[in-house]
Amino acid sequence: MSIFGTRRTRAAVIALAAGSLVLTACGGSNDSGSKDNSKTQEDAAKQSAAVTYGDAKASTGPAAEVPGAKPGGTISVLQEDDFSHLDPGQTYVSDGKILDRLIQRGLTQYQEDDEGKQTLVGDLATDSGKQTDGGKTWTFTLKDGLKDQNGSAITSADIRHTIERMYAPFITDGPTYIQQWLSGSGTTYRKALPDGPYKGKHLPDSVLATPDEKTVVFKFKEPQPDLPQALAMPGYSVVPEKTDTKEKYDTAPVATGPYKIAEFKPGKSLKLVKNTNWDPKTDSVRHQYVDGFNIGFNHSDDDQTKTLLADRGEAKNSIMFTGQVATNQVRNVVEDPEAMKRTIQGYAPYVWQLNFNLDRMTDKKVRDAITYALPSAQIYKLDGGAYGGETATGLMSPTTPGYDKTYDPFGKLKKPNGDVEKAKQLIKEAGAEGKKVVYAYANTPVRQQQSVVIADRLKAIGLEVVKKEIDQATWYEQVGKVDNGLDLYMTGWGQDWPSASTVFPPLYDGTQLQDGSSVYSHINDEKVNKEIARILKITDPAEAQKAWGALHRDIVERINPAAPIYYTKVFQIFGSNVGGLRYSADSSYVDVTRLYLKK
Amino acid sequence: MLQFLIRRTFGAILTLFLISAVTFFMFFAIPQDPALLACGKNCTPDALAVIHQNLGLDKPVPVQFWNFLVGIFAGRDFAVGHCSAPCFGVSFSNQQNVWDTIVDRFPLTLSLSVGGLIVFLIVGLGAGLIAAKNKGTAIDKVFSSASLVLTSMQIYFLGPVVLGLFVYSTGWLDKPSWVPIGESVSGWFMGLLIPWLVMSVIFTANYTRMSRSTMIEQLQEEHVRAARAKGMSSRYVFFRYAWRGSLIPIVTILGMDLGALFGGAMVTEITFGLPGIGRLARDSVIDKDLPLTMGVMIVSAAFILLFNLIVDAMYAVIDPRVRLS
Repeated sequence: MSIFGTRRTRAAVIALAAGSLVLTACGGSNDSGSKDNSKTQEDAAKQSAAVTYGDAKASTGPAAEVPGAKPGGTISVLQEDDFSHLDPGQTYVSDGKILDRLIQRGLTQYQEDDEGKQTLVGDLATDSGKQTDGGKTWTFTLKDGLKDQNGSAITSADIRHTIERMYAPFITDGPTYIQQWLSGSGTTYRKALPDGPYKGKHLPDSVLATPDEKTVVFKFKEPQPDLPQALAMPGYSVVPEKTDTKEKYDTAPVATGPYKIAEFKPGKSLKLVKNTNWDPKTDSVRHQYVDGFNIGFNHSDDDQTKTLLADRGEAKNSIMFTGQVATNQVRNVVEDPEAMKRTIQGYAPYVWQLNFNLDRMTDKKVRDAITYALPSAQIYKLDGGAYGGETATGLMSPTTPGYDKTYDPFGKLKKPNGDVEKAKQLIKEAGAEGKKVVYAYANTPVRQQQSVVIADRLKAIGLEVVKKEIDQATWYEQVGKVDNGLDLYMTGWGQDWPSASTVFPPLYDGTQLQDGSSVYSHINDEKVNKEIARILKITDPAEAQKAWGALHRDIVERINPAAPIYYTKVFQIFGSNVGGLRYSADSSYVDVTRLYLKK
Repeated sequence: MLQFLIRRTFGAILTLFLISAVTFFMFFAIPQDPALLACGKNCTPDALAVIHQNLGLDKPVPVQFWNFLVGIFAGRDFAVGHCSAPCFGVSFSNQQNVWDTIVDRFPLTLSLSVGGLIVFLIVGLGAGLIAAKNKGTAIDKVFSSASLVLTSMQIYFLGPVVLGLFVYSTGWLDKPSWVPIGESVSGWFMGLLIPWLVMSVIFTANYTRMSRSTMIEQLQEEHVRAARAKGMSSRYVFFRYAWRGSLIPIVTILGMDLGALFGGAMVTEITFGLPGIGRLARDSVIDKDLPLTMGVMIVSAAFILLFNLIVDAMYAVIDPRVRLS
């Protein structure tokens, strides 16, 4: 998924970026914290371990007790922006995902341990699914005793409705994986059910069958080994048919998880209280320790960090959802041992890369030269320093299964600030001295700061740089055009679930290249396209992982469509009275399913 | 007097109409389809067409403007339901009723503005009077110098400094927050105390300087000197003759400052993360959310015009010559 999933998320990241800028300006230091205790590649290795599939036992509730957990109290949540959507079908980005973990349930979910190892288990389903026909058919059976917040039983018809409403025209922001697997790629799937399920039409049983109240059968034309993981996305959380109010559902969804919405004031606050119709015996992951959550918006990262670091009054019971320690406060946090006990860290799945528009940047030597030249360390220091990023050596995130930490074709680990001499030599060999390149960047404080570093380096290796600033609100719309008139532009991308299958197809499959697609480099290589199609059909995760790794190396070394710059990290702080804190590899932020108040 | 107020009221209504028209038509000069913002990442031509229809963007701009005006008085129907009058439409970004959102946010901005107004009038005018009374003394110099320093302060600078000192470091004051007065009077007061003080600083300094200078001028006036010569007490002359006369230019400036007060409230809300009209205005502009922008503009303008009307009426109270004319 793109790091900017929606407009609101963009705003949140812009705010984060603003905080980062302040850090650099005020800190006057090269690093954000004097003691670098940030996460390392070893931690990443745990995060990138392949997901295992849990059986019925692992899917049976209640969840294992969190040591020391107590019931009662209300947790306050400090958030920068309101949620862009509350309708599960429209939910795709991190803040929505975290909220979804509290109020919604899908067929499957991730169960994590303290090491970040993820096991996919059944959520509403009794297990993580049974495949037949070589992975073309998947069958899920619903647990007993499932109810929505109104006390109505959840049946297979509700699951069918949930999938079918994803075809409706008003659903524009949610995931599209399963619809495309069932009914066709791109946007063609919508033709299978143009009005969704609202005018009496349904997907045929040959595609989606519900033979009884408990059973749901997905039938695909091709093997879909990742279906259980796709179903764990918040976008596929159940929307009970009786409760569906179409567009209106986005402001008043019905809960199926341990909490429900008691009050929602858009742009101001969201209050969650216990959903008394959630039965812990049906849920092997979530808890319901606290009585509720009071989520308040309009708190910048800087505000969140200062409030939580001060740890006074209500702040003791407060948490961040997707906020991060503001870069200008990192030093204050890491140098305070008491505060550090209240933090969590982990790798986020995003890789920031400088895309080459291959329609215009046709000489690979020039692309290689730029890749060698980019000073990754200088660039990520403007976006959180060691606690916010790390030099990227390839286009695969440390959180993606198949990531190889030794893979460093451009020698970035030895020279994280770039190899100018090598780059100059390549530019000379290519005869590209003085070549004009149009470099675009978004008008956020961090990107503007980074643009200075990048443009200076491009000039230093002999290129003539034409900088073009683009409004962040339309950034992805503009760089996503096939005829965008640009040569270089930075984008961030992360996996939707722990598999490269949600990274390489959307970014490097040339058959998907069209206006609005995420094939930002305009790569359209026949060998790559065929290989992507082949790997997507591999049902053995280990074999697929190996194949994605090989494809990654081929793309980087033979084509080099984008210069890797940095991997992203998460660093959060919480109130001292909040217990059960743990980083979630699934959400890339705090695991909200197990929090409690100590007193 | 009545005729004067009626004339000003009609003027205010015309101003509101012009502001609405200019904002509305300017919005469509932006080379971007607002429906795209609501369309999301999986936008298709079909989905875009549905959103155009739902938001009424499929009609000519003048028709849209007419529908907007009609909605204010008669209400409108949208895909998400009926919007009762006064209907300013539904937000492009979150499909919420704009009027409901404004009503929800307005108490904060009103509390902030009125509270800030009271603080800067009391402190600013009081300090100015003391300085004028003690003209040329150390007190005068301290007050005048302080006002000069405070005039150069900005809310976005002073706000974080005050928060750092009195909230995060010492914990002496509550972190700014919004608690409706109906829920808790003390919570409301303590939650807005820092924003009031910070917002009022820049205005306070101006009013200190202004009231000082106008008061000194008034004290030199012949009618004031004549009153003194008649043997009236200094206090009576100071307040009854000089101060009353000095208020006329201050009230004039106050009328002009009301717009700035709303602007100050906007910066204050953003600085302290308070969810009021100011923050709503900023978000609506960033999101290119026309109904929300229109709603905020019209309601804010209406209140500024209303306050100006009150200020105009106050002239009559302060200056008998207005009543006579």
